[in-house]
Amino acid sequence: MKKLSNKDKLEQTITQTRDLLSHLENNEIEDAQELIDTLAGEGDEDLFIEIGKLTRNLHEALTNFQMDSRITDIAASEIPDAKERLNYVIEKTEEAANKTMDKVESCTERSNKMSNDAEELLVEWKKLYNRELEPGDFRKLCKKIETHLEKNKNDADDLHSELNDVLMAQDYQDLTGQVIRQVITLVHDVEESMVHIIKMFGSMDGYNKAKDETSVKQGVEGPVVNVEKRDDVVTGQDEVDDLLSSLGF
Amino acid sequence: MKILVVDDFSTMRRIIKNLLRDLGFTNTQEADDGNTALPMLQAGNFDFLVTDWNMPGMQGIDLLKAVRADDKLKTMPVLMVTAESKREQIIEAAQAGVNGYIVKPFTAATLDEKLQKIFERIDG
Repeated sequence: MKKLSNKDKLEQTITQTRDLLSHLENNEIEDAQELIDTLAGEGDEDLFIEIGKLTRNLHEALTNFQMDSRITDIAASEIPDAKERLNYVIEKTEEAANKTMDKVESCTERSNKMSNDAEELLVEWKKLYNRELEPGDFRKLCKKIETHLEKNKNDADDLHSELNDVLMAQDYQDLTGQVIRQVITLVHDVEESMVHIIKMFGSMDGYNKAKDETSVKQGVEGPVVNVEKRDDVVTGQDEVDDLLSSLGF
Repeated sequence: MKILVVDDFSTMRRIIKNLLRDLGFTNTQEADDGNTALPMLQAGNFDFLVTDWNMPGMQGIDLLKAVRADDKLKTMPVLMVTAESKREQIIEAAQAGVNGYIVKPFTAATLDEKLQKIFERIDG
């Protein structure tokens, strides 16, 4: 085993190692081989270990380069595509909500009319019971009842068809569900790439520490989706009411 | 009773308007954030304000504060209907003078109950 205690010898070895790396990087295999032979001739086992390490570093650099191209794909096409997909979800859910509300409003109007018609008829029907109806009015009442029953039948059929439309408007759930699942997969890929980069160039300690910290978002944040992991939010209207009454409201 | 409903999502405005109509409040108008709502309130003889919190432009909490700071509007009852559920936010809204606070998702019964409570307080 070579002793590197001599200063000149140490500097020479450093220079040789640098040269070797430079040859390897420039793909000058013959020069590299020659240098390795020279160094090997000096019988230095440590140097072979160093070369082994260098080779491994070179390999890792190449792997990173491949990963860079994956990140390029994600940034250039998959993220814009995901934005489009999420916009599609907004459109589809809004469309479904409006379609459903259109139909519900129409059903409400129809059921109000049915109820009003029946109420009017009942008034006259009671007159008949109380013998308050003129003889000529009885014929009119019969006609009215017939019309009402016919209309009732048609209205019920229409209600049925509108309720069917409400049912069909829920098909957005399947479509948006598929799209959101694709975006979740993408987010997962991005997360993996980022963790990989942190492993290569950053500090895993910092990453693990940040992972354990629960981030508290300031200001507005919309619906809280992980209520069970949070202790700064209320879980429902009852808790809101309790909080407000504890404040004297 | 003229009510202004402020929410950035048209579907939510529609839901609230429908629920209010079922409760007998048919005179309602809509705005999509505080910036459009405030001039409407200042010009339009409204009796009641229902507002979301999280909106682009002017947020509901700032609309509430603007209403309380306006001499002509400061006594108007304000009901907040929002997904914001942090305790500190509810306290902030209370301190800013909100009359009722409903967290989304909510039910027709909750809206009815909170409205009744606000009217009882005003009358009493």
